[in-house]
Amino acid sequence: MSTRRDFIKKTGLAMAGATLLPTILPSGRLFAASGNRSADYVVLVMFAGGVRHQESVGKRYLADAQPGQTAEGNLMYNMLTGAPPSSPILYGTGGGNIPIAPILSNSLQSQGTLFNEVRAFNTGHYGALNSILQGADPVGQGLRIRPVAPTIFEYLRRHGGYAASDVWFVGNSVGASIPLLNYSSHPDYGVRYGANFFAPTITFHPNSQTYIGDMKTYHPESEWAPMMQLKSFLDSNFALTDQQLDTLGNTTEEKENIKLFMKEMNLRTNMGTIDLPPVSDSADNYTMGYAVEVLKWFKPSFLCVNLNGVDVCHNDFTTYIKAMHRADHAVGHLWNSIQQIPEMAGNTTLICIPECGRNAEPNAIVDSNGFVSFDHSDENSRRIFTLMAGPTTPSNLVLGSEGASIGQVSDAMMTVADLLGVKEAVQQAGYIDPAAQSLFDLI
Amino acid sequence: MNTQESPHNTFSPKATVFAVAAASALLQACRKQDDIYELETPLLQADNSSKTKLKTNEQFINILYTQLFQTAPTEDYLSALSTILTSIGDQLLAREVVIANFFNTPEVQLPSNEEMRNDIGTFVDATYKNFYLRHAGAAEKAWVTRFIETQPDFTPELVYFAFALSNEYLYY
Repeated sequence: MSTRRDFIKKTGLAMAGATLLPTILPSGRLFAASGNRSADYVVLVMFAGGVRHQESVGKRYLADAQPGQTAEGNLMYNMLTGAPPSSPILYGTGGGNIPIAPILSNSLQSQGTLFNEVRAFNTGHYGALNSILQGADPVGQGLRIRPVAPTIFEYLRRHGGYAASDVWFVGNSVGASIPLLNYSSHPDYGVRYGANFFAPTITFHPNSQTYIGDMKTYHPESEWAPMMQLKSFLDSNFALTDQQLDTLGNTTEEKENIKLFMKEMNLRTNMGTIDLPPVSDSADNYTMGYAVEVLKWFKPSFLCVNLNGVDVCHNDFTTYIKAMHRADHAVGHLWNSIQQIPEMAGNTTLICIPECGRNAEPNAIVDSNGFVSFDHSDENSRRIFTLMAGPTTPSNLVLGSEGASIGQVSDAMMTVADLLGVKEAVQQAGYIDPAAQSLFDLI
Repeated sequence: MNTQESPHNTFSPKATVFAVAAASALLQACRKQDDIYELETPLLQADNSSKTKLKTNEQFINILYTQLFQTAPTEDYLSALSTILTSIGDQLLAREVVIANFFNTPEVQLPSNEEMRNDIGTFVDATYKNFYLRHAGAAEKAWVTRFIETQPDFTPELVYFAFALSNEYLYY
């Protein structure tokens, strides 16, 4: 029979244990996230490559870009509300004159909130992508080096305790330093809190299967475990230096799961059964198909996918509007696919944001249709938008207008942090732009 | 008749031969011997603490491929596989994938299990030299040898996999 003395003793021991022996999470942090997580899943689309405000949310098609042209209309009817151009149709399939059918019966704008006029910090691709992921103006951020300040991936993993395979970055290529964006060089964050990364146009390209498409499978207990035991012994006799391999902290189980996913993707790439958008004649759509596959397989709390087909606008306006139309198609496919994943349907917030816009005035390059081209460096290049939809997002709401911007590029990252419960930790870390805030705080 | 012996016949032929031989021996004895320089066989025992630089993807693939296939990869192969490695975020996982693909190739050159089991100590020595470019320390050799001895199903392939994936092999 338990006595009062026993009860007090056991309670005291339990309290002491709870005080002195906090749980050490796999992420290395001592306590679970203290912030309030208001979403189970968040997907961030870096609708990147330099999307000119006029042709995107401006819905001006050719009218504001090409001298002598007056056609207006909405090229992005999965994302935005508005009628498409009537003619000329140059952005579709075939010779360009067949518009791609909408995937969503109701635009994301009607289902969510559009920040119509948002300010970008940076007009160069890499710096601007960094401004999204860091939530800050990346002053001093050089090309070909990792982000100088922590990224949202690292905030989530360090302060939120998210596992490595619960945080993903799907890039459009391995060029333009894209593979460097999955974690920063910050000494307090860095590789151990990085996101898993694939560039599907490379990783899962049919040609790549010659090199990595025939992995030998080892028995987890009779082969892999003793092999790792030997490796562990070998490692114990070698001191690592500051230069370390990007290991990201995936557990053995997570790595095996990722390898299984890769095998599955190779198999299904060969069979032609990857969940690509209905029209998949661009790298962006190919990338989005595999991003959808990552969502289906891992159901990560956070996935960020980068598109950039529109960057062709430097020298080919016609292909630029085609790429914009296809990027919208890709986002429509993404949202539609999310609603077909039982765990994520109705339970996922989607945020789409370009990293920068494009110039008001054209450069000297004319394409095959006689259309002028646009770079990205002037004030007009700082005009972007943010589109958000999800269970806690007000629907059919438009905020901001030309000359009255609401929000800035850094807010997308803060919104992710807010939704996934690390907003306070991010603010306390002190590396974000002082004005950065969750978009929910602007509504 | 002159019966007096001429003075140049003072020494007998035997004495002359002896004198010449003695003079020759004396001359030989005074000759300076050639200097002979010799090298002691040095024990090349690279210290693993000197390995501080991380191999690039190209270096890793090039060295491992050459070790496993006994031939160098083509430049196209090297470039393509290196790019693929860059497209995978977890670089340790990427290396696991690459090695597992190598070992699924019939051209890979591996000692047989029998060769390894016949003389595990020699196999361990050779593996350390091949992968780490150094001799195994006594404790290392003893541990790995014992490990292989006690794991009857552990193959040379798994030993090579562990070495190729180990931290020391990632550096030079």
